[in-house]
Amino acid sequence: MKTLKVLTVVAIVALVGILVSGVLNFGSTSMEDNEIESAVNKSNVIDQAPVRKGYDIGDKATDFNLQNVDDKIVSLKDFNDAEGFIVIFTCNHCPYSVAYEDRIIALDKEFKGQGYPVIAINPNNPESYPEDSFDNMKIRAREKGFTFPYLFDAGQKIYPQYGATKTPHVFLLQKEGADNIVKYIGAIDDNHKDAKAIKNDYLRNAVTDLINGQEIKMTKTVAIGCSIKS
Amino acid sequence: MMKKYFPFILLLIITACSKPEPQKAAVIGIEDIASLTSNYPDKIQVINFWATWCKPCVDELPAFEKLKATYGDQIEVILISLDDVENLESKVNPFLEKHNIQSQVRLLDYPYAAEYIPMVDPHWDGAIPVTLIKYKKEHKFYNQSFEFKELDFEVAALLEK
Repeated sequence: MKTLKVLTVVAIVALVGILVSGVLNFGSTSMEDNEIESAVNKSNVIDQAPVRKGYDIGDKATDFNLQNVDDKIVSLKDFNDAEGFIVIFTCNHCPYSVAYEDRIIALDKEFKGQGYPVIAINPNNPESYPEDSFDNMKIRAREKGFTFPYLFDAGQKIYPQYGATKTPHVFLLQKEGADNIVKYIGAIDDNHKDAKAIKNDYLRNAVTDLINGQEIKMTKTVAIGCSIKS
Repeated sequence: MMKKYFPFILLLIITACSKPEPQKAAVIGIEDIASLTSNYPDKIQVINFWATWCKPCVDELPAFEKLKATYGDQIEVILISLDDVENLESKVNPFLEKHNIQSQVRLLDYPYAAEYIPMVDPHWDGAIPVTLIKYKKEHKFYNQSFEFKELDFEVAALLEK
């Protein structure tokens, strides 16, 4: 009887010991994590920029089923005659996007016939930006006479896959078999204010290189824009 | 009747007069960005890129204002607007007045963004808001929106150095 009591006590002590050490172990791992973080924070040049996921040059771009301003659903696979696509994430509310509207129309007119139509996608959440609602997209497309699909990324599922971070943000795709391969990421050109004062016509040069079967000289460029808000 | 209210009226006038004037935006060019981002300031500089049309930027401005109010002359808060210079008098300065902005405000009049963006930080991908905190050889770049307590933490940490 006495031995049983002693055994029970031993068992309880052991159990408590295991539990406590488990907690301590757990505690110490999170301590280590903190230490790593603070060590990183101690270095001189710090970059707090979150790691952006998304496509790089040569990646396969996802297709989508998104609603166009004419209410029809648009997918890249529907464009049998296309050689590729000029996918531009853009919107109504952003002054940079607005500044580029005429240039986007011109690019579509210039390159659609050569196999590279513009596909515009509004990635914004209309709750953050009421101007970017689907109804307002319809109005803007009509006002400006958009010659290209202007799609709504409902539920914001597509833009994070591409890694779009701002509007306007361009992803130039080229068809390879059934795939769409990313060939250029970045800006339309280098001067949002004045189309006549452009020094580097990045996107036009890239599409022209693709059409001519040449290597694109600048495959990635820095683009200014309005951050996409989820 | 007048006598009864006179002290109140006087008080009202005094408070109205002593209230600091809101800032007006000074127009700068790319050379100012170059010198601002390449120096090693002895005073902490909190440099924020924003625009009146940028909702997340406008949302976080009170945090920067509170930071300036909290630390006063210990730090410099510089708000660099990317609004078009054509909107200086019609939008930017009225905005500063309406929100009674007390931090220094500058407006960058330079359209070639791909030239100044890498000067600020190689990791800036072109969306705003972004914030750069400089102090001596420290260079901290933040591709994010801020709340006051986060800004306060960053500045307090630097001041301890």
